[in-house]
Amino acid sequence: MKRGLRAAWPIALGYFPVAVAFGALGAQAGLSPLWVQLTSLLVFAGASQFALVGLLAQGVPPLLAALLGLLLNLRHAFYGPALRPYLRGGPLEAFFLTDEVFAVALRALPGLPPGERRGYFLGLGLGAYLSWNLGTALGVLGAQGLLAFPGLGEALSFALPALFFLLALPHLKNPVALLAGGVALGFHLLGQTAWGLFLAGVTGLLGEGFGERRRP
Amino acid sequence: MTLALLLLALGTFLLRFLPWRAEKGLRAGQAGPALVVALFLVSAFGPPPSSEWLRALLALLGTYIGARLTGNLGLAVFLGAGLYGLLGLL
Repeated sequence: MKRGLRAAWPIALGYFPVAVAFGALGAQAGLSPLWVQLTSLLVFAGASQFALVGLLAQGVPPLLAALLGLLLNLRHAFYGPALRPYLRGGPLEAFFLTDEVFAVALRALPGLPPGERRGYFLGLGLGAYLSWNLGTALGVLGAQGLLAFPGLGEALSFALPALFFLLALPHLKNPVALLAGGVALGFHLLGQTAWGLFLAGVTGLLGEGFGERRRP
Repeated sequence: MTLALLLLALGTFLLRFLPWRAEKGLRAGQAGPALVVALFLVSAFGPPPSSEWLRALLALLGTYIGARLTGNLGLAVFLGAGLYGLLGLL
């Protein structure tokens, strides 16, 4: 587990400012600090949390806001099957399965002895979870001023893109991955990021099927 | 409102858990690499295309050089993020 915790620090670095912003947004929307913190403790999925709080603040009915948040998380359905060859998913593993944890685990797990994989994954997820919840708590308590130091907030906001870049590097010669990336970027530029990511996952599935049919 | 929170929490958990747990469920195919590349592109390049993309590209170059020089993922991320912050001050 220690190895996973150590590997989590780039994720934690990137999560922290986003989580502070989330906590501050919830507080500014007039939601109770406990409710905002519970969102991070129970959901642990950044984009859908922002959507839930933002929609509730705009007066959208709560259940509709929750369903829209769930739509944003559809892509998560692809992550477990992609990790399944390396690690069997239990409830705790699934709870920690964010975008960033998935991407780091997909790179690291194949190189680890099978007996160490679960501990590594749980350490990775726990490190990310602690950072997300600490940041939320500080944001709720009004500590967003921490990020006001010139350049600091912006620098931290780039930690996750930099991490994803290094994790994507080995796949940039894969035509299916590139096509999927193009689909996601196209939808992203149209303001439909969640659908773009979901369709990228579908593209990956279809790409495998295409390859199988061409095998002799 | 609490019900909405619980619904989102439970739904998100099931979206993560059930496909992973299913013995004969969804096959991953190349979804893993496809999603990692997609996550990279949408996180690094925000709409609309602007000079911010050049700043991001320079910071990614710094990240890459950092990774080659140090061989350490976390340190390279730290260097790339720092470079991105510095470029914003120029």
